[in-house]
Amino acid sequence: MAADLAELQSMIEDALPGASVEVLDEGGGDHLRAVVAAPQFDGLTTIDQHRLVRAAVQPRMDDGTIHALSITTSLPAAG
Amino acid sequence: MNEPGITDNEPTVTEKVRELIAENEILLFMKGTPEAPQCGFSMRVVGILDQLDTDYAALDVLPALDPLREATGEIADWRTFPQLYVKGNLVGGCDIVEEMYASGDLAGLLGVEAPPPDPDSPAPGAMPPASSGPIQIEE
Repeated sequence: MAADLAELQSMIEDALPGASVEVLDEGGGDHLRAVVAAPQFDGLTTIDQHRLVRAAVQPRMDDGTIHALSITTSLPAAG
Repeated sequence: MNEPGITDNEPTVTEKVRELIAENEILLFMKGTPEAPQCGFSMRVVGILDQLDTDYAALDVLPALDPLREATGEIADWRTFPQLYVKGNLVGGCDIVEEMYASGDLAGLLGVEAPPPDPDSPAPGAMPPASSGPIQIEE
């Protein structure tokens, strides 16, 4: 069961308005990587940044669509 | 303490885990032991802690995987292993630990000198001579 990458991207974008989001398939359609730059990350620890991203896609973790999600977070580039 | 739908042993495991996190300044929940990791992600975190030459306690989660997932889910909202706790707080799993090691933030958090840059991944066979013995929680 392959994940819908566009759906996951919009789930993260909806949870983090203004974020730049990229969701990549790293193999088999269920091992994914989310690369997210969001203004909401300012002042948060890395783990809290990851928690925000994971929470946004939690329904797809819970229903088994995603088996593994690697997360890379950053603040949006200045300017 | 008991909540409907939760099995009887969970509050005990959760309490034990809270105690371990409070008692050990640096605590790694991992699959296997530092001497014999049973998962590549756990091995990578052990390798990084070895590179930083830091003392830490390690808990093998495999004997009680599901209760420990529940416990860490309750405590730190995190259910996958490895998990590295420093001074009572969850730092992260393998990818966060690697990212913070690369940036030097992990050495700062642990209060150790950052080692000279090493482009290769940490040697998985390196032993942690200074680390404590593995802690066991049985189901």
